[in-house]
Amino acid sequence: MTKKPKLLRFLDILCLILVPGALVLILFFTPTERVMGSVQKVFYFHVSAAWAGMLSFLLAAVAGGIYLSTRKQKWDWLSLSAIEVGLVFGLIAILSGMIWAQPIWNTWWVWDPRLTTTAIMELIYLAYFILRSSLNTPESRARLGAVYAIVSAATVPLTFFSIRLFRTIHPVVIAAGGSGGSAFNMTPRMLLAFFVSLFVFTLMLIDLVWHRSQLAELQAINQGEGG
Amino acid sequence: MNPIRAYLSAVWNILRKDLQVEWRGRQGVPVMLVFALLVVFLFNFALQLSPDLQAGLSAGLLWVSLAFASTLGLNRSVSLEQENKAMDGMLMAPVDRSAIYFGKVLSNFSFTFLVGLVLLPVFSLFYQQNMFKLMLVLVMVLGLGAYTSLGTLLAALSIQTRTRDVLLPVLLYPLALPILIAAVEASRSILAGQPVADYQSWMTFLLACNILFTAAGLMFFETILEE
Repeated sequence: MTKKPKLLRFLDILCLILVPGALVLILFFTPTERVMGSVQKVFYFHVSAAWAGMLSFLLAAVAGGIYLSTRKQKWDWLSLSAIEVGLVFGLIAILSGMIWAQPIWNTWWVWDPRLTTTAIMELIYLAYFILRSSLNTPESRARLGAVYAIVSAATVPLTFFSIRLFRTIHPVVIAAGGSGGSAFNMTPRMLLAFFVSLFVFTLMLIDLVWHRSQLAELQAINQGEGG
Repeated sequence: MNPIRAYLSAVWNILRKDLQVEWRGRQGVPVMLVFALLVVFLFNFALQLSPDLQAGLSAGLLWVSLAFASTLGLNRSVSLEQENKAMDGMLMAPVDRSAIYFGKVLSNFSFTFLVGLVLLPVFSLFYQQNMFKLMLVLVMVLGLGAYTSLGTLLAALSIQTRTRDVLLPVLLYPLALPILIAAVEASRSILAGQPVADYQSWMTFLLACNILFTAAGLMFFETILEE
């Protein structure tokens, strides 16, 4: 069995300390937003999760590209892991966004560019797992998965852009600022908590993807031995 | 023969072969057409369309029925090659693999475009508005061009799986969403009689989609088919 790298263990411990740390910062250090009240505190982890999700899908496409040119299995494991972790982060972003939207927009769901793009993104990457599970050999899973990951990553900005164009041509009911708009008028304490959350989530992303691709490696070894 | 002419003749041969198969068997276009019409009828009953609503929705219905019907043709165009291992024969031919992709895109495009052209008078009749507009035909060329260039790539991908053609809609619809949004919006503007400036950005967007997805096909078609 491959040994757990030291750096990974260090990252684990760092995440174990920093995630609760960020939470403490958000709950006790940041001021309560004047209009929205305490529900605004969802914002820090919400944006960070969305960021981590996007980043990991991008990572998956890059890893897919490297796999196609080098044909080394570890890049496929990385690509697969990034998509799996990204899917979870995307789900966290959607769910936490809904919790915020219910009191603020008075609805759980709006067909806003950001929401729609995130939801479509989740569907695209869910299809990735259906694709992989219906392929027989590890090689074809890796090869076709990589192609799909790259093509998908290319269409995500297109989707966002097209929905955005569609909403700017038509009158918009909910101001385009949404959750992101508040990012520009934050107090220094809020800004600090926000950047700490972003940093912590990025670390958590690296940690989780790393773990997941170690697991993929172990699975591959196991399957190889089991025939 | 110089290399460009050899390449073009390979593309032409594949296109001609597909057109010939279709002309002799007539198993693709008629099925797509009937299916598209059925979608129109289903929507009509499912949504309980009143006459004043119909005019605004006809652009959307046109594209949804075209998108659904095209998947039949896309699946058929690759499954046909899997029968009797015809694809293996094509892959053995001393031509660039991207020529096969282009030939397939062109034949898929011709079939879906033909279905679209037949749908225009039918829609004009059913929804009491003149759909014979040059710009609408142009949107159809751009929209279906982008849709089939992405669709051909994904059909080649999904045919490799155990579930075969069942997978195509799941892979194609979320990724094709930007194309459909742009095509529907442009068509709606045209049918509402708006000036070109109002929907010009959508046309440019569709053109960009064409370029992007054709480039993706060029890059990855060979990777998908390699065994």
